[in-house]
Amino acid sequence: MTVSALTRPGERDRLIVKLSEIDWLFVLVLSLIAGAGALMLFSMAGSSWMPWAAAHLGRFTLLLLVMIVLAVIDLRVWFAIAYPLYGLGLLLLIAVEAVGDVRLGAQRWLAIGSFSFQPSEVMKLGIVLALARLYHGVPAQRARLSWWLFVPATMIALPVLLVAHQPDLGTAMLIALTGAAIVVLAGLSWRLIAIFSATAIAAVVPMITFVLHDYQRERIFTFLNPESDPSGSGYHILQSMIALGSGGLLGKGYGLGSQSQLNFLPEKQTDFAFAALAEEFGFLGCVSILALYAAVIFMALRTAYLSHSHFGRLAASGATATFTLYVLINGAMVMGLAPVVGVPMPLLSYGGTVMVTVMAGFGLVQCVRVHRYAEVTSGKGSFV
Amino acid sequence: MTQPAIFFEEVNERQGVFHRRAILMGAFAGLGVGALGARLAYLQLFETQRYEKLATSNQFNFKLMPAPRGIIVDRNGAILAANRPNFRLMVARDKGMDPEATLHTLAEYVPLDEARQRRLLKDINSAPKRAPVQVMEDMSWEQFSAINVRAPELPGVTADMGEVRVYPHGGAFAHVIGYVAKVNKEDVEKAGPNPDPIMLHPSFRIGKQGVEKAFDLALRGRAGAKKVEVDANGREVREDAKGDIPATPGKVIELTLDADVQLRAEEVFGEESGAAVVMDVRNGDLLCLFSGPSFDANRFVRGLTGVEYRGLAQYDHKPLFNKALTATYPPGSTFKTMVALSALEHGYDPKTVHVCTGHWYFGRMWKCDAVHGAQDLHHAVATSCDIYFYQTALWLGPDRIAETARKFGLGEIFDIGIPGQKKGLVPDTAYKKRRFPKDPKWHPGETPSMGIGQGYTNLNPLQLCVMTARIANGQKSLHPRLIRSIGGVEQKSGAAWGDLPVNKDNLHFVREAMAAVTTIGTAARVADLGLGDVKMAGKTGTAQAYSYGSGRGVHGTAGAWKLRDHAWFVAFAPYDAPRYAISVLVEHGGFGAAAAAPRAREIMRTVLLKDPEVMKRVVRPAPMPDLPPEMQNQPDAADGIVTAHAPTGKPA
Repeated sequence: MTVSALTRPGERDRLIVKLSEIDWLFVLVLSLIAGAGALMLFSMAGSSWMPWAAAHLGRFTLLLLVMIVLAVIDLRVWFAIAYPLYGLGLLLLIAVEAVGDVRLGAQRWLAIGSFSFQPSEVMKLGIVLALARLYHGVPAQRARLSWWLFVPATMIALPVLLVAHQPDLGTAMLIALTGAAIVVLAGLSWRLIAIFSATAIAAVVPMITFVLHDYQRERIFTFLNPESDPSGSGYHILQSMIALGSGGLLGKGYGLGSQSQLNFLPEKQTDFAFAALAEEFGFLGCVSILALYAAVIFMALRTAYLSHSHFGRLAASGATATFTLYVLINGAMVMGLAPVVGVPMPLLSYGGTVMVTVMAGFGLVQCVRVHRYAEVTSGKGSFV
Repeated sequence: MTQPAIFFEEVNERQGVFHRRAILMGAFAGLGVGALGARLAYLQLFETQRYEKLATSNQFNFKLMPAPRGIIVDRNGAILAANRPNFRLMVARDKGMDPEATLHTLAEYVPLDEARQRRLLKDINSAPKRAPVQVMEDMSWEQFSAINVRAPELPGVTADMGEVRVYPHGGAFAHVIGYVAKVNKEDVEKAGPNPDPIMLHPSFRIGKQGVEKAFDLALRGRAGAKKVEVDANGREVREDAKGDIPATPGKVIELTLDADVQLRAEEVFGEESGAAVVMDVRNGDLLCLFSGPSFDANRFVRGLTGVEYRGLAQYDHKPLFNKALTATYPPGSTFKTMVALSALEHGYDPKTVHVCTGHWYFGRMWKCDAVHGAQDLHHAVATSCDIYFYQTALWLGPDRIAETARKFGLGEIFDIGIPGQKKGLVPDTAYKKRRFPKDPKWHPGETPSMGIGQGYTNLNPLQLCVMTARIANGQKSLHPRLIRSIGGVEQKSGAAWGDLPVNKDNLHFVREAMAAVTTIGTAARVADLGLGDVKMAGKTGTAQAYSYGSGRGVHGTAGAWKLRDHAWFVAFAPYDAPRYAISVLVEHGGFGAAAAAPRAREIMRTVLLKDPEVMKRVVRPAPMPDLPPEMQNQPDAADGIVTAHAPTGKPA
């Protein structure tokens, strides 16, 4: 059932039409990545569905349904909840500052009953929606170069500072970069981009010296020279690189990765899942997975490209940017190109929080695709 | 928010910018993913070998395995030191285990009372993580297998089989063989800058005394290694038997000792303190090197408690001391053999007669045990007349006596493989000058004491046995040999040291005199072997431990043990064709003839009864009993088969 832009009014609001508009090839690629993740988790648990592989697949299936539900929700609903969601995210971040749980030395978790989550994850989607909505009503000139840019800058800075204070440097950086991506996509002047980039690079050294916590500083130094302390903080990076390198072209074989099976690879089921995959499936397996990730990014970006509404374009590309950053940062970390920041490989790594964020983001992307011809005019959108 | 006026061009401009930037972003993402791919290619295609090596060194460990320690056997192959399997139970602290609960569970299988559990818990908690603490040793097979079955559900618990040194004869060989024990800091320091890593292995034991110490490297063998796959926590996951490096077992050390003789020596000594040395006079092989009382070397392997150690160290019979080598005593009258020989060598007429009245004046009054009357040299040796030898010694002077004595190994240290020999002393004028600078002159009054083996003279039982063996051999300058072979390589024979530079006739005279000792002399009845015409020749000795003049010394066995004389007996047998020499010392034993000679007799009997050549002389074919005439035609009787109605068989 092909649906062109020229359809009868109301035709596109039919659920069946909306479902058919979802990019099912995209869903397939996501499933392939999640399936590869489950495969790896099965292997790492010593050929057992417990404790990870089954949960991973179950979670993905559930979140796939959520994604589809989110995709068929009217885009104007997303538009309407953009600011409230951002506001809620900010409130939660302030709350976590006050009453959050301290886990592994960082205050990131908020418990509601028996359910606990990281408010910073809400903010990853919140910042995308809020900025998209903000830019939706802004002319190109203002988005390019004007004093008005302080508004998006503040909107990005607030959550970034709160998250960085937890301290969760990885997420803070992710939010900042996602926000920056939207600002750039919305048409920021190149001159400003150049100035900001230069300032950011110049600020790196004083940041490291004065602002960062000791362990964060250590991570960066370790990254710069992992062999300096192979049993200490350099251990993670070194073991990961050993896992990768020893995989070779074809890998050691499924279930035969000594680094991951014998626990030399730290956090093998979460942050270093990609290294475990690289060890057992080798260069060919890695390139295949990277190709799948590239396909996801391409398809999501294409969706943003084809959207008729500016909100849709920015929202979809923002969500894509988040995903892309996850992939690149985790990949770089695993391969010894970036310091160890707790950023998992989306869909491949075990862990609910990131999967919720990513799948919700893809829900938004698919929603933009389904509603690519929809006119988003104001906050008063009609509901499905 | 007011709806801004967005013109058509504006919308298009925003869209255009976005499209361009989105393509840029796509390119940027593509570049990022491409960079990752390039990095992967570098790591996985070009650096593979390097990382494979690192992964392998992560994955596999080689675990040192001590080699089985070489066994020690006697001349007939009887085991003196060996290894026996030892089922051990060990608990190590680890993640996900509760040491207290684990010990509680283990107590169901092995006896572990509350107090022991508490002590072990303390040990386990203070030991480094995953360092096993031994909970039980010498478990039964049932206990071992029961725990092994449950081990998978008991993290940190290992039941394995190790080897432990065992000395089947307990104390009899303790001084010669020594024992093994845990390596201590001094052992590691002594091993030099690069100690054998096996020394740090928890189940490795190092030789601490005697043969175990002297030949530790030969006995140790070369440790092997077990290839094991380990996880990141160092826990063993799998064993890779194909990758094992086999251990080279330690060498077998064969001693010249005869376990039967040594055990007989231990028996006859009982609780007495002293030493017995038996030597083969043809080749110097030591058949017995016993020091009593002894101690159970097996206790040292396990580790002595403080109380046990103090008990051994403070006992006045000194069980830890090897009296055959380490202790020196005045040789007493046994030394008269040397004085007699020296006199003959220097032209003394053996027919010279001195009259013993029980007293003799030379500067002061010198005494004799009895009134021996007129005697020549032969009889003076037999009756051990002090007064005769006072005068013979005076005739000779100290230097000539010492010269002869040294030719017979007195005051010498022999290389028998194990350390601990004390040199003792055969004094002469040079010694006096060296040792007493204030009174460097040898006074004539010091010579008579030397003539009866008192004074400065101090010797160990091994030296006296060598002396007797050389007298008995009559030709060779025999050296004692304790180590017969190491790993099958025969060691130098004790007969390969050249000849004795003395007149053989003179030696014959001394042997004859010693034979008289056991026939008509001081050891007349006590030294009778009871083996027909196989007789023993010897010399008694009763050496003062303390001088009687001081009022402390006790002649005989009347007074306190500590103050009694030392009893000596040296002998060789058979006296007409010598094969074995023996020296027996009974510390504070009283008279040599009473305390030492009977013990020497019993040990010598054991030696002789084991010698087939000697046995041929002892066991003669008994004459056939005269058969009654009616039996003489029976064919079976002619074949020597004893039938039911045969009168009597051969006497056994």
